[in-house]
Amino acid sequence: MTVPLPFQQYICEACGYVYDEALGDADGGLPPGTRLADIPDDWACPLCGVSKHDFVPYVAPCLDQLRQQAGRVALVRSRKVGRAGQGAEGSVVIVGGGSAGWQMAEALRASDAELPITLVSACAGDRYDKPLLSVALARGLPPGQLVKESGAQAASRLRLNLMAHTHAVRVCPATRQLRTTRGVVPYSHLVLAHGAEPVLPDMLAASLCWRINHLAVYQKLRAALDGASHELLIVGAGLIGSELANDLALGGHRVTLLDTQAEPLARWQSEQAGQKVLQAWQGLPIRFVGDVQLAAAERVQGRIRVSTRCGQVFEADQLIAATGLHTPSRLARTAGLSWDQGIAVEAQTLRTSQAGIYALGDCITVEGQASRYIEPIARQAKTIAAQICGGEPQPYQVRPMVVRVKTTSMPLTLH
Amino acid sequence: MNPADMPQHPASPSAEAPTALMAAIEAIAQGPLKQQVEAIDRGLYPQLIMRDLARVGAMSAHLDTDTQGADYGLAIRAMAEVSRVCGATGFMMWCQAVCGLYLQQSGNPALTGSLLQAHIEGRGLGGTALSNPMKSYAQIEGMLLRARAVEGGYRVSGTLPWVSNLGPGQYCGAIASVNSGAAGEPHEIMFLLHCDAPGVELRECPSFSGMEGTGTYALRLTEHFVGADQLIADPTRPFIASIRAAFVMLQCGMAVGVTQGAIDSIWAVEGQLGHVNQFLDDRPDALQAELDELTARVMQLAETPFDTSQEFFIDVLDARAHGAELCLRAAQSALMHQGARGYLLSSEVQRRVRESHFVAIVTPAIKHLRKEIARLSAEEMPA
Repeated sequence: MTVPLPFQQYICEACGYVYDEALGDADGGLPPGTRLADIPDDWACPLCGVSKHDFVPYVAPCLDQLRQQAGRVALVRSRKVGRAGQGAEGSVVIVGGGSAGWQMAEALRASDAELPITLVSACAGDRYDKPLLSVALARGLPPGQLVKESGAQAASRLRLNLMAHTHAVRVCPATRQLRTTRGVVPYSHLVLAHGAEPVLPDMLAASLCWRINHLAVYQKLRAALDGASHELLIVGAGLIGSELANDLALGGHRVTLLDTQAEPLARWQSEQAGQKVLQAWQGLPIRFVGDVQLAAAERVQGRIRVSTRCGQVFEADQLIAATGLHTPSRLARTAGLSWDQGIAVEAQTLRTSQAGIYALGDCITVEGQASRYIEPIARQAKTIAAQICGGEPQPYQVRPMVVRVKTTSMPLTLH
Repeated sequence: MNPADMPQHPASPSAEAPTALMAAIEAIAQGPLKQQVEAIDRGLYPQLIMRDLARVGAMSAHLDTDTQGADYGLAIRAMAEVSRVCGATGFMMWCQAVCGLYLQQSGNPALTGSLLQAHIEGRGLGGTALSNPMKSYAQIEGMLLRARAVEGGYRVSGTLPWVSNLGPGQYCGAIASVNSGAAGEPHEIMFLLHCDAPGVELRECPSFSGMEGTGTYALRLTEHFVGADQLIADPTRPFIASIRAAFVMLQCGMAVGVTQGAIDSIWAVEGQLGHVNQFLDDRPDALQAELDELTARVMQLAETPFDTSQEFFIDVLDARAHGAELCLRAAQSALMHQGARGYLLSSEVQRRVRESHFVAIVTPAIKHLRKEIARLSAEEMPA
């Protein structure tokens, strides 16, 4: 004797109607106990009219589990500030979950224990030191070890509303609202700290080359390198490209480094930085090829092939681009902010051209000059916090930067 | 400077044409449409009004013809003027307008000739069955229509729920995925689907909470033959990439119009109820300022409807989302401002609340728009 199979449920992929074999569909002429397989082809979903072929097996999800998942999201959005369409007195909205965004939040909280703060971050908002991404490649550190504090922990410690994995889309200055992919956030003050992003030359498709500008990308590249030794091609021998070459070579990979200039670190030519760094690399598997212009890049049988205008061809397992940074202009454009190779801010106050909007970090320029280093960020944050919280003015001072190139064998200090 | 000295676009209509068009549309909207709006909400398909609107040019301002240059801003304003009175008819104008866009952009002589001409003049009425494929391209759901290549064309089967501006003798643009044996790049075809063709069946839908007169049916296809004369695009992805911004942008007309209608209803009771209404959120002047700013933004986007850059498309998606959000707030606020009289089942305020819900949930719904913006904003990296 065969035991009949238990009745199943099926869900309509078009509209979500659930067909339960045990119940059938009386209005559609299916008595209780009608198996999906036995439903005639001309039967239609009672809600949307599709046929049984658009139904898939359905198991009711565990509600407790769903609530738990939703709860985790709610945790980082626990303090909803203000309401759309209203002035939301006193709420400060920070865009950017990197060093600049978090230091801004720290400075504001240090000045005012009660100030409502919302931080909007495109990523999880985990706190880590970006310059260490390259070092981590040398040491093969797991991504988790780079995180000093998770975004959720930092949000709870600073008592702020973290909107993680949320893209800021548009600033509406007239209504003082920030439009995001998770709704509209009203602000009294807006601080842009969204940084700069890698810029690629036209012939390099984004799908072909890595840009190591975020923890999540580091994580993906680590997975792609998977503990083995690889041939890597790095395009761009500026500060970031040179450090990556150094650290990836230390990490056991064979590196070819290309640049349009004759030497690496050509910006510091007067200090002979290129010669010094090439000397420092003598014992490492790094091959520098200067004076080349890229012509094309393509994927050939799982490997990357790059050709130059002078006819040279390079092949590698992975291609990494370090061809410069630019500031995304979307928020500045929609807010109508003055722009000068970046968000133009007033030197001493870091105010933008629009009332109530400040900016700091990699996304700003002072008199047309970007300064994409870590040191000024904390001072910038204090300058802005003093104005928002009404403390003693702390005018920002532009200082000349000293750059330390982290080549392990021969550290270079450049001015 | 004398306006006559300004350079003229060679195919642009005379300066009076847009004004004349808007006046003709207003006459229809405030006349016969206003009289039928309740009946349309409950299920009357306003075929005559649709034909009249087409005849005056209300659903073809965005199409290049021998006598006019394409004007997306005018097309959106036309839709807004009608939606201000009847959201359902405004929605059908969008259906008709994008169907015309498909026909014209197809470049298929079998579709761009007399068929397109009839469509422009309102002798032909049609819609768009792209809700499902658009969600499929945005990785929200799977494709419901499936095609297989046969001698001279394709055979298409499957069912599409909820396609609007349909009826006997009418048609719509549709997309089917092509079953190919090999696992390669996905391949789809886009075609003009005639409701009366063999292998096509219209099925009644269950009742919706409003907008019942939109000629909305489920479409069931059984081995329906698609030949070269019906093909709008093959493959579809480059075609969709070129029209997607125009497709979404045109919908802003509905949002702008329904919002304006809601603001009108608030002003209608201001004299009598202003003394208490002043305590409400979302007062009409604030709503109007936000609507004007949004409209200006949409008009600017409408100057370059075929800009294929990602930044531009994100701007279009966000304007559409803002329109839906504003529409919801304005309709809700109108109900608060009107109080009990707006709660009557026969009240236009009550109807407009349901229309605003439609603007917010019709593809692309607010959640789809946000998900798509997030998807487009993510950095692309090697797999």
